Amino acid sequence: MRAALLFAALVGASAMSARTAAAQEPRFTGRLSPAARSAVEAVLDSARQTGLPIEPLVDRALEGAAKGAADNLIVGAVRRLAADLGNASAALGLGASDDEIAAAASALRAGARAADLTALRERRPGRSVTVAAAVLTDLVALGVPPDTATAAVLAMADLADDAGYLAFRRNVERDVALGATPLAALTVGLAAEGTTDLGTRTPTRARKP
Amino acid sequence: MREHDDLLERGIALLREPVVIDGGVNTRVMDAVARLPLPARPSRLHQAGTWLIHPRPIRVRPVVVLAAAAALAVAAVGLRDRAEPPAAPTVTAAARAGPAPVRFILVAPTATAVSLVGDFNDWIAAATPMEGDVAEGLWVVTVPLPPGRYRYAFLVDGATWVPDPNAPRTIDDDFGRPNSVLTIGGS
Repeated sequence: MRAALLFAALVGASAMSARTAAAQEPRFTGRLSPAARSAVEAVLDSARQTGLPIEPLVDRALEGAAKGAADNLIVGAVRRLAADLGNASAALGLGASDDEIAAAASALRAGARAADLTALRERRPGRSVTVAAAVLTDLVALGVPPDTATAAVLAMADLADDAGYLAFRRNVERDVALGATPLAALTVGLAAEGTTDLGTRTPTRARKP
Repeated sequence: MREHDDLLERGIALLREPVVIDGGVNTRVMDAVARLPLPARPSRLHQAGTWLIHPRPIRVRPVVVLAAAAALAVAAVGLRDRAEPPAAPTVTAAARAGPAPVRFILVAPTATAVSLVGDFNDWIAAATPMEGDVAEGLWVVTVPLPPGRYRYAFLVDGATWVPDPNAPRTIDDDFGRPNSVLTIGGS
């Protein structure tokens, strides 16, 4: 009886060990300290259980390691990103791809609201929102106020394909580089797309990372 | 004097005598006219050329001239705006579903080594070294990338992180060294 219990305990321990090894991210080996790795792995496990994409979290940790960031900065960045991914996933609903969730998380951090992402999803049924959300983020990075950038992306949502969104962003970027204010550049770009009505919106601000 | 009067009276009498005309003269005259060659008629093209060549005053309202000039200016601006400047990094086939070759370029005249580092190579500095033209200070590498959104930066001389000056910066800079972002569309 005692031998059977010991055998069962050994089998269980080896099974748990195998599961832990399988869950560990091999790319962290030699790049994260044991403490940082343990904390980041815990975030990854939680993300897996809730169906969130893992790769953006791994990338963020590896970026921090490559840049020589302190452990607390790396773990904090990964946790913040996990939270953004969760909010983005909830906003986009079931069926969102990993790329869509990652792009939407960046848009949220840029200042878009969850309701805006939901509206974007609803206005592009059957089409990816990855590029649309990415362009929204890029517009904010160029200096366009987040609420205006969101309104512009939503205004184009019915008709624009990925190439149209990218061309739009490229035109705004070009005009800003030539000296136009971001808002003026965006207005000109929208006029070229045949869109002028951005509606009335309550201003929002980009969140600090 | 009297002789002159007689001569004058005989002349008047002669002129007053009725003239008898041959009945076939009309027919002969018309036949002769019909046999004359017709003058060559100028073609429509010749007429148009003559109209264009000959100087003539044209009266135009000044407002019409201004409107025509404005229309020409608008057309010229429209043609100019159609020309898209090249953007870097260059996406050769952004609309393709498969990997598209993307060329990354950095001008770093004083650098001795430059690497492209990003989430497409797990942020490994040695994974994607760039080829440099030391004389020009130009560092270039081409990487095949499928549609998606990528964060990256250049690592100069293994120590200095430099964002791509030709690409948007990322919003979420968690580590104090800004990245650039590249979006490749798939539809």
